[in-house]
Amino acid sequence: MTSGRIVIALGLVMGAVLIQTTVFQHVKPFGYAPALGLLATIATSRYLNPEPALFVGFSGGFLQDLLGGSPLGLWACTFTVIVFITLKIRDREVAGPIAVLTGVFGLTFIGQSTYAVLGTLFGQGIIGRPGLVWDLIVPSIYNVVLAYPVFWLTRAGVRPKERTWVT
Amino acid sequence: MFPSGRRLDRATALFISLLAVGFLIATFDVRASGDSATTVLRGGAQALAEPIQGGIDFLVRPVVGFVDGISNVAGLRDQNERLEAEVQRLEARLRETAALERRVAELEAINDLAPPEGLASVTARIYSSGTSTFDQVRFINKGSSDGIIAGQAVIDESGLVGRVDLVTGSSARVRLITDPLVSVGVRIQDTNQTGAVTGRGDDVLQLDMFDATAPATEGSVLITDGSRFPPGVVVGFVRETKEANVGFALRTTVNPAAVFTELDFVKIVVGWSPLDADPETGDPLIDPPSFTDPGQELQ
Repeated sequence: MTSGRIVIALGLVMGAVLIQTTVFQHVKPFGYAPALGLLATIATSRYLNPEPALFVGFSGGFLQDLLGGSPLGLWACTFTVIVFITLKIRDREVAGPIAVLTGVFGLTFIGQSTYAVLGTLFGQGIIGRPGLVWDLIVPSIYNVVLAYPVFWLTRAGVRPKERTWVT
Repeated sequence: MFPSGRRLDRATALFISLLAVGFLIATFDVRASGDSATTVLRGGAQALAEPIQGGIDFLVRPVVGFVDGISNVAGLRDQNERLEAEVQRLEARLRETAALERRVAELEAINDLAPPEGLASVTARIYSSGTSTFDQVRFINKGSSDGIIAGQAVIDESGLVGRVDLVTGSSARVRLITDPLVSVGVRIQDTNQTGAVTGRGDDVLQLDMFDATAPATEGSVLITDGSRFPPGVVVGFVRETKEANVGFALRTTVNPAAVFTELDFVKIVVGWSPLDADPETGDPLIDPPSFTDPGQELQ
């Protein structure tokens, strides 16, 4: 694996986090925004080796922590968990758009839920908020909508010339 | 995760290590106070990201406004009907205005409520929001070099928006009043009863009044009581009427006055932070900065 692909993956995830904090402060259909950083992390994890993928996920999550309002490390842990799950299931991926989109929905939902649990453990009071279920579901649906452009971009930038699934 | 007979592979070991590091950082950040390493790190990252975020925001804002306008056309008819109903309601309320104005003036005189317009302020533009649905924060393009310090109140033309909770040289983070970590001491304007408004994480606030003797009626205006925020700033309007029962706290919901989805420019009230107010008199300990010299040092 070339370091160039890792740098591109890191750039994609960090770019997604920056877009999340700027574009999606204005574009909020029904009051919710997608979890773009999480989506970019899922996308890059499909093509990177396990160790670089975990580092990219942790770094992207840490940037999200730095630019957000929650304690540092919570999104970093969340992204790392999602990368790990993605690594475990990517080889079992069933071809076809339905499987991919279901995976994106499920992983985003798990990511949002993981953050909600961690945030509550660290005093953010997320669990118990009114409308929490929608906070978990709607960004997951938006991520499904955005999955194809993000996956296409990631495939162009990060996918190896000859695909090498890593054991 | 660890099937029997299989060695702990490197990826799993790294995964566990990264989780441990993340938990350590989070614990340190939660327990740290003041100018800790995490605060400095966060401030540095925000200072680095601010030009990029500002650039993206500058490029995207007109496009988003255009698209937003088109997408809103479909909803204009419904909005028009709602506005017609609202006009009728307001016309009815206008008839009560004279009496209400006299009452408000009387209450202000009694409670020595200085109008917020009397305080100096610094205007700032919001260039970034939080990184997730759970974040109730905004970032503004003014920082310590403009006289901004942690704790200052942030308002817009509708009312109280939040308070500054992290400051760098050229930017600051505003924690919205919808955040569960923010609590605002308030006074119901027409009954003079006091209580506390707390964020719930959504677009509705929660009002708790522990010594209420009068009901909180729907539509009543809540203003800041001057404890942590400048007095007289509109916070919101009671959503649901609740009676006061002796021995029980009065709890109801509040619609915030500020529309957080439409925030663009805000004002930071300088000279009234808990950090720079006299604890006994409540008077500001510092002179408000001149509007012609926004770079004046306050500390």
